[in-house]
Amino acid sequence: MDELEERSEVVNQDTMLLILAWLFVGIPLAWGVADTIKNATKLFS
Amino acid sequence: MALALDRSHSIAKPGFNRWLVPPAALCIHLCIGEAYAFSVFTKPMAQAIGITAPAAGDWTVPQLGWIFSLAIAVLGLSAAFGGKWVERVGPRMAMFVAAVFFSSGLIVAGIGVSLHVLPLVYLGYGVLGGCGLGIGYISPVSTLIGWFPDRPGLATGTAIMGFGGGALIGAPLAVALMRHFSSATSTGVAPTMVVMGVLYFIWMVVGSQIVRVPPAGWAPAGYVPPVASQKMITTKNVLREDALKTPQFYLLWVVLFCNVTAGIGVLGQASLMIQEMFAVTPIAAAGFVGLLSIFNMAGRIFWASMSDFMGRKTTYLIFFALGAVLYVIAPTFGHLQNIVLFVLAFAVILSMYGGGFATIPAYLRDLFGTVNVGAIHGALLTAWAAAGVAGPVLVNYIREYQITHGVAKADAYSVTMYIMAVLLLVGLACNLAVRPVSDQHHLKEAPAT
Repeated sequence: MDELEERSEVVNQDTMLLILAWLFVGIPLAWGVADTIKNATKLFS
Repeated sequence: MALALDRSHSIAKPGFNRWLVPPAALCIHLCIGEAYAFSVFTKPMAQAIGITAPAAGDWTVPQLGWIFSLAIAVLGLSAAFGGKWVERVGPRMAMFVAAVFFSSGLIVAGIGVSLHVLPLVYLGYGVLGGCGLGIGYISPVSTLIGWFPDRPGLATGTAIMGFGGGALIGAPLAVALMRHFSSATSTGVAPTMVVMGVLYFIWMVVGSQIVRVPPAGWAPAGYVPPVASQKMITTKNVLREDALKTPQFYLLWVVLFCNVTAGIGVLGQASLMIQEMFAVTPIAAAGFVGLLSIFNMAGRIFWASMSDFMGRKTTYLIFFALGAVLYVIAPTFGHLQNIVLFVLAFAVILSMYGGGFATIPAYLRDLFGTVNVGAIHGALLTAWAAAGVAGPVLVNYIREYQITHGVAKADAYSVTMYIMAVLLLVGLACNLAVRPVSDQHHLKEAPAT
C-alpha cells in the first residue's frame, strides 16, 4: 500500500468516526427535541 | 486504567479532526443536563408510599425541592474547588470521574427511594450527583477553547447547549422508564434512577474516550494568532488565584448571577405562571415549559456563536437591555391576554438565559487568557449556585407576599417581572464596567535560558 492510499484510509476512518460521534449525540437530542415540540403544540391548540 | 485516563494519554495525534471534540463534550453535557428534568420525579416521589396519592409517611414537595437545590449548590462548589484539578489531569480523567460521580449519584438516590430514606437521596442526587455536575460541566471547556482559538464562543456554546438539551432527553426517558417499571406497589422511580445511572455512565465514558487535547503549539490551519492584545481580548494569561484578585472576576460574577437569577426564577414558575395568567390546562403549560427548554438550549449555541462576531461585552449588553425591556412589557401581554406575544417574550428571555451560560467561558478567555480558563470558569460558577437558590426564593417569596396581601393570582407575577428587570439593569451596569485586566495580574513569561 503506498503512502497516498494509507493516508486516504486514515481520512476515511476519521470521517466515519466523526459521523458516528455526531450521530451518537444527535439522534437522542433530535428525539428529545421532537418529543418536546410535539408536546409544545398543545399550548396553541 | 488511571494511566490511560491522564492528560498525556489523551494528546491528539497529527491529523486528528477537532470536530470530534464537541460531540465528546456533548456526551457529558447531555447527560448531566438531566438535572434540569429532576421535576419529573417530584410527583411520583411524593407519593412513593401512597402510589396514586400522597399518604402518611410520604415525602413532601418542599422536602424534595431541596434535592435539586442541593445538587446545584454542590455543582457550584465542586466546579470552584475542582477547577485546578481538572486543568491538571485533563478532560479525559475529569469526564470519567464526572461519570462515576453522576451515575453513582443516580444509583444511590434510586436505592434511597427504594428504602425510603431521604438523606440517602440527598447524598446520592444532591451530593454525589452534584459533584458529577460540577466536574462534568467544566471538564471540556478549556479543551474546546484550545481546539477552537478562532471560534471559542461556538465551541463552548456547542457543549453548554448540551446541558440545556439534557432535560429534553432526560424528561421523556424518565417518564417512559417510570411507566415501564410502575406497578400497583411501586411508582417505578427507584429502578428508573438505577437504569438511567447505568445508561448515562456508558454515554459519558464514550465521551471521555473520544476527547483529545491539542498538542502544544497546535493551531488550526490558516489561523494567525493575534500578536498584540485587542481592546477586550488579551493575548496574556492570568492564573486562577490572581484572577480572584481582579475586579473583572467579581463584575462577571454579578453579571452571571443577575442573568441566571432572572431566568431560573421564572423557569421554575413557568408552568404555574401561564396557568394562572392565561387559564391554560396543565398539559398546555407543560408544552410552554418544553418550548422554553428548547429556546434555553438553542440560545446557548446561537448567542455564544454570535458573540464571536459581536464581542462578549456587546452580547451581554443585548441580554440585559433586551431582557429588561421584555420583562417590563411581558405583564402587558398578560393583561391583553395575548398568549403568542407572551410566549415569544419568554422564549427570547430564556434564549438569553442559556446564552449567558454559554458565552461566559469565552468572556473569561478574552479577559484572563487560556492557561487557567477552566479553573476560573469553575470558580465563577459559584454565581450559578447562589442564583439557583436566590432565583426561586425571590420569585416564590414575592408571589406569596402579594397573594397574602390581596393581589389576584394572575396579577401577582407583574411585580416579580419588574424586579427581574431591575436585576438585569444591575447586570447591565456591571457588564459596562468591565475593562481589560491590569498588567500587574498577568502571568510573567519565563525568561529565556
